[in-house]
Amino acid sequence: MDPANNMLSIQNLCIYKNESRLFTLDTNVLAGEILTIMGPSGSGKSTLLSWLSGMLDPAFTAEGKLLLGGQDISQTASHLRRIALLFQDPLLFNHLTVAGNIEFGMQASQSSSKKQRISKALASVDLSGMETRAPKSLSGGQQARVALLRVLLNEPRVILLDEPFSKLDSQLRQATRELVFEQIRQRGLTAILVTHDQSDADAAAGKVINLSNPRST
Amino acid sequence: MIVDTSLFTRWVKFSPSILITLLIMPVVAGLLGVILPAFGWLPALGEDTVDLRGFEALFATPGFVKMLALSFSTSFVSTFFAVLLSILILGNYFNSKLLGHIQTLLGPILVIPHAAAAIAIGFLIAPSGLIMRLFSPWLSGAELPPDILLPNDPYGFSIILGLTLKELPFILLMAMAAMQQKEIKQAIEGQYKVALSLGYHPFTSFCKAVLPMLYPFIRLPIYAILAYSSASIEIPLILGPNTPPTLAVAIMQWFNDVDLHLRIQASAGALVQIMLTLCVLFTWWLLEQCVKRVCLSSLINGRRTYADVTWKFLTHCITLVVLFAIVLALIGLVLWSFAGYWSFPKAYPDQLVTQHWQSALQQLPETISDTILVALAATGVALFLALFTLEAEQQRRTQLSSFTSLMIYLPLLVPSIAFLFGIVWVKEIIGINAVFSMVVVGHLLFVMPYVFLSLATSYRKLDLRYAKVAASLGRSPWSVFYSVKLPQLMPPILFSSALGLAISFSQYLPTLLLGGGRINTLTTEAVAIASGASRRISAVYVILQILLPAFGFILAWLIPKLFFRPRY
Repeated sequence: MDPANNMLSIQNLCIYKNESRLFTLDTNVLAGEILTIMGPSGSGKSTLLSWLSGMLDPAFTAEGKLLLGGQDISQTASHLRRIALLFQDPLLFNHLTVAGNIEFGMQASQSSSKKQRISKALASVDLSGMETRAPKSLSGGQQARVALLRVLLNEPRVILLDEPFSKLDSQLRQATRELVFEQIRQRGLTAILVTHDQSDADAAAGKVINLSNPRST
Repeated sequence: MIVDTSLFTRWVKFSPSILITLLIMPVVAGLLGVILPAFGWLPALGEDTVDLRGFEALFATPGFVKMLALSFSTSFVSTFFAVLLSILILGNYFNSKLLGHIQTLLGPILVIPHAAAAIAIGFLIAPSGLIMRLFSPWLSGAELPPDILLPNDPYGFSIILGLTLKELPFILLMAMAAMQQKEIKQAIEGQYKVALSLGYHPFTSFCKAVLPMLYPFIRLPIYAILAYSSASIEIPLILGPNTPPTLAVAIMQWFNDVDLHLRIQASAGALVQIMLTLCVLFTWWLLEQCVKRVCLSSLINGRRTYADVTWKFLTHCITLVVLFAIVLALIGLVLWSFAGYWSFPKAYPDQLVTQHWQSALQQLPETISDTILVALAATGVALFLALFTLEAEQQRRTQLSSFTSLMIYLPLLVPSIAFLFGIVWVKEIIGINAVFSMVVVGHLLFVMPYVFLSLATSYRKLDLRYAKVAASLGRSPWSVFYSVKLPQLMPPILFSSALGLAISFSQYLPTLLLGGGRINTLTTEAVAIASGASRRISAVYVILQILLPAFGFILAWLIPKLFFRPRY
């Protein structure tokens, strides 16, 4: 898939809760760009990600279109959108090993090549030799990196980041953030980051939209 | 540490021991009362030598292997189907409002006594039952009820159907209760979303991401169901074959036989029943290990779908069929209870009469009052002991030990057929003649675990700061318990009471054995009538059996709304 085809267009989006308008949004995100969404609690940041991933809570209704690479995916089921989510909790599966968690995200292919790719990916984030470890035995930062690899090796077209660094301490936060952004840019992924933290927005170095005042800056 | 020595505190302190003694003693005495006769020692009949005659007679019983096979297969297969259906329903309706609706519809089935459910299902599937009538003659071509042995088929299909329909709501509700716990809910919903966003189809996402996490929470209920169904009496007695019946039913018949020497064989059978139950549990454990081994690699094979659309369609169909069968069974009961002449294949009676209700209600006042009195006594004692035990836990600031917790569920884990007869024997040796008290004790064994289980969560969640504030204002421990904790717990206490009453209403074997025919409840009468008398009278009994617990739950729901609502 040509990364240039990963442009995400949010057209005339209007989200309602109990028939009152929560926010409106109309913007484009280019491949390799990280769009930052900020705003106070309750402004609809996570709701926006739910709509983008096709998992909008029934308490909300939405109008508007979502185009990915020019194709309208507003009505496409979430599992067919190729839009992956990275939450603030790593949400690793405790019934699988570290390698199993990453393999869970990968597409079906030869098992031996998968193993090699997993080892290489783990090495790239300083987690060599952790393949058979249980997720619970890892530190918070290590778990966050495994969750990132699970998403990246899934080869999505878009990645949604729902405050993924908020539970990490400041030193770990900066290192993990750099790693995530570097990987996104290297792979030419389209990304949307939801955060409360201005330093995240600065590091993303892209467009910032404040949902309490939704205009691009 | 300041020690309070008031009467209340002393009572509270001893409550856990009293509760455990009340539960362990009858079970252990009952088991002893079965083990000794099983090895030929029954002095009351002049048998005071220890030998293996009972087992020899048991193994020589015609159809003995078939009895074992029937007990094993019906309990295992019905539980397997109930678990499978639960997974299909949970997986396909996960995160959907439909799941809540299904829970609302299936929930009331839980409180229907097994005997009542069995009779209703028997009516439904019989050759002249409502299903056959609805499809005749336009589809089946039958002008007369077909000559099929249903229920009571020799392979136990009717038992499997009955057990599955009763077990399904239980597993579903247990799973949903686990899924609604805040931490588990957050974790499974998050992991489900992760799987969806990684491209897994919805049902596959549930099976690969949610089920491995959820299963440990429904494992114990599944084992409880296996243990119960392998030794259950009511459903196999009403829906099962008699040539031969399941082992538990055969044991009951031997114990009740006029030939008292059959008690030795029956006691040996009770021990074999325990082994059989353990065998069923072990086989399920083996199945779990196999599934784990086979499925672990498929969890990470990258396949995003396993015919999700087909499974979804199948689940819609099965759910509709189950709900349709339940509704049809209930409609059938009402129709039969008012039916005068009702010729086959008409789906509606030729005439409606009230004489079955009139005659049943003339005979029933004493039975209904006995049923309610026994249930009130057993539930009252259970409630009192459960509340005091939970209060003891809070005063000690430590939860009950795992041994004590396990002992509370002991009567549910040991097949009742294996110890209830022993209690009768011990009762005869000691010479206890208090029939009512014995029946209450028998019911208490089964009511106690449910009352405790349903109260424990709410009691342990109480915000203790209220109690501390009250104590700091000079209130005694009794006053804090009575005027601070109990009012906060009123809705769960009422729900537990309704549950306790429902469990007591449904007891068949304890009433039959410990009552010795001198106390009859709606359930014992319904089972007795189901085996031969009028289907119409039977329908009236079953409806009353359903209405009685339903009335308890309606009261439990209404009372807080009427008397405990906030006043402005």
